[in-house]
Amino acid sequence: MRAQVARPGRLETAWVCLLGLLLLGPALAPGYVLSYDMVWVPDLALTRDALGLGSGLPRAVPSDAVVAVLDELVPAVVLQKAVLLGAVVGGALGVVRLLPPDAVVPRLVAGAAYVWNPLVVERLVIGHWPLLLGYAVAPWVVLAARRWQRSAAVPVALWWLVPLGSLSASTGLVTGLLLVVLTARREVRRWAQLGALLLLANLPWLAAGLLHAGSATSTASAAARFGLHAEGSVPAPLAALTLGGIWNAEVVPASRSGALGWLAAVVLVPLAAAGVGRLRAQLGERTWWGLVACWTVGWLGACLTWLAPGAVGAVAAVVPGGGVLRDGARLLVLCAPLLCLALGAGAGRLLERVPEPARVGAALGLLALPLALLPGVAWGAGGALRAVDYPADHAAARAAVQQQRPEGDTVLLPFSSYRAPAWNGGRKVLDPTGRYLGVDVVQDDTLAVSGRLLPGEDPRAAQVREVLAGGNPRSRAEDLAALGVGAVVLELGAGASVAVAGEPWHRGTELVVQGLADVAPVAVPRTWRAVMAVAWAGFVGAPLVATGLALRRRARPLAPG
Amino acid sequence: MTTTSILTTIASLIAGSAIAAVGVVGLVSSQTSAPSQSPTNANQPVVIDYGSN
Repeated sequence: MRAQVARPGRLETAWVCLLGLLLLGPALAPGYVLSYDMVWVPDLALTRDALGLGSGLPRAVPSDAVVAVLDELVPAVVLQKAVLLGAVVGGALGVVRLLPPDAVVPRLVAGAAYVWNPLVVERLVIGHWPLLLGYAVAPWVVLAARRWQRSAAVPVALWWLVPLGSLSASTGLVTGLLLVVLTARREVRRWAQLGALLLLANLPWLAAGLLHAGSATSTASAAARFGLHAEGSVPAPLAALTLGGIWNAEVVPASRSGALGWLAAVVLVPLAAAGVGRLRAQLGERTWWGLVACWTVGWLGACLTWLAPGAVGAVAAVVPGGGVLRDGARLLVLCAPLLCLALGAGAGRLLERVPEPARVGAALGLLALPLALLPGVAWGAGGALRAVDYPADHAAARAAVQQQRPEGDTVLLPFSSYRAPAWNGGRKVLDPTGRYLGVDVVQDDTLAVSGRLLPGEDPRAAQVREVLAGGNPRSRAEDLAALGVGAVVLELGAGASVAVAGEPWHRGTELVVQGLADVAPVAVPRTWRAVMAVAWAGFVGAPLVATGLALRRRARPLAPG
Repeated sequence: MTTTSILTTIASLIAGSAIAAVGVVGLVSSQTSAPSQSPTNANQPVVIDYGSN
């Protein structure tokens, strides 16, 4: 059966937008949402770190560079809202298109399930917005992959969707896997196209990762911390069936840990199972089996990080970049399209078995089901997401830094990764100071999970930590300068910190900026610059060239006869 | 319309409305209840956990 593709009607669009607005709520107010790894600033600079040329692992490549460029065109405060809303609503609008146009209730249920689930909420709170963009892109990749199955040329949409779904290493792997499973054929030409598309879309983080391969292994024991976890009393594999199971209990909605977590599995899994047969017929064999394969890989992969964290840790300790596999719940992005579509189809089947007079009530209940099973996350993920303004002192500190233009890197004190500033409502966030000031930083990359310290990988961070651990303020300043550190920024009120003697550039209510003298130059190998230049050229150029060629093909007049 | 269908209609409306009401009540109560944790005191010299499990 040929699968139908239909644009969402006004009702479906309004429904998923309403749910998205309800979920984000105050996060869409003026200001910046700063939560765990979600760090947005008014003007992100295109620093060495953003370009993949810093000393630390390129965890924010290419996402930071993309934002740094786009916030020159659109104010960052607006850009963040667009990204958040797009990440939450965009995928649901794609999922809706995969169901028949006349199946209104199934489309509404599938859309609601794609917006309102633990994966979206938990990743919003922990700040993994590139992963959520990959999640939003996934149904559109499925739609574009179906078009590619019927034609020889790569659809232009894929040249944009795949890079958008590859703004971090783990997201790129998930998007790539989805595309390979859905489009691979036993044809050399197809594999060549697929390889080129995936390589160019993932080139920045791939190239930067290879350049950092020497320091890209991580502690084996950390895998147990970041693998799939149970949510309260709900065992991890069961939580994963309904897209839950993130490692960090702090971002798990309270309702997932108790009876509702169990109820979600008990209700949603049979409902999805009921829709399997119908969905298979609606999607067509190729897409159906592709999505089944994606679901299987996603669920089993996630469960593997729970079942055998030692094996995952061993890989991460030996294979450079292997640590990207530790956070197993990320793989559940692969499960989401099939689950939500099956829920929609199951809802459709259920409705047909309900006597005609009872259908309105039953439809009402089915539409409310995702919300009823995950209450308490509305209006900013239950209060975890709020837009705030940076203190005015940050702008003054940035002005001072930009005026002085420090050589080398900047060290942020206290030397620790995360902050919970009062002006952010005490909510945790990766220290945003470096990004706000627009400088390259050496930042502590040690992570504390449940009070246990997990060592980082950045060799320069280790050197700075060693310097800060000894000496006196003057010797620390000299030793830091010898390491190529040109400025030190102390955040007041962020806890105790060692002192460093430097020239005061700014002393405000929040930040103290000091400049250091006789700074050793920070050398970036010329080969690194060349490699990353090629990588960025490929990443940016591929969609532009593909679009240009497609436009030229369309503009070319048809041959006579 | 038979008595059965009328009763079915009423029962389904009650069931559907109950599910919707549970959702709405959950949403509202979550917005009005006290926060489970006090805001962190940023003045304490602490290493802040990235998370816990």
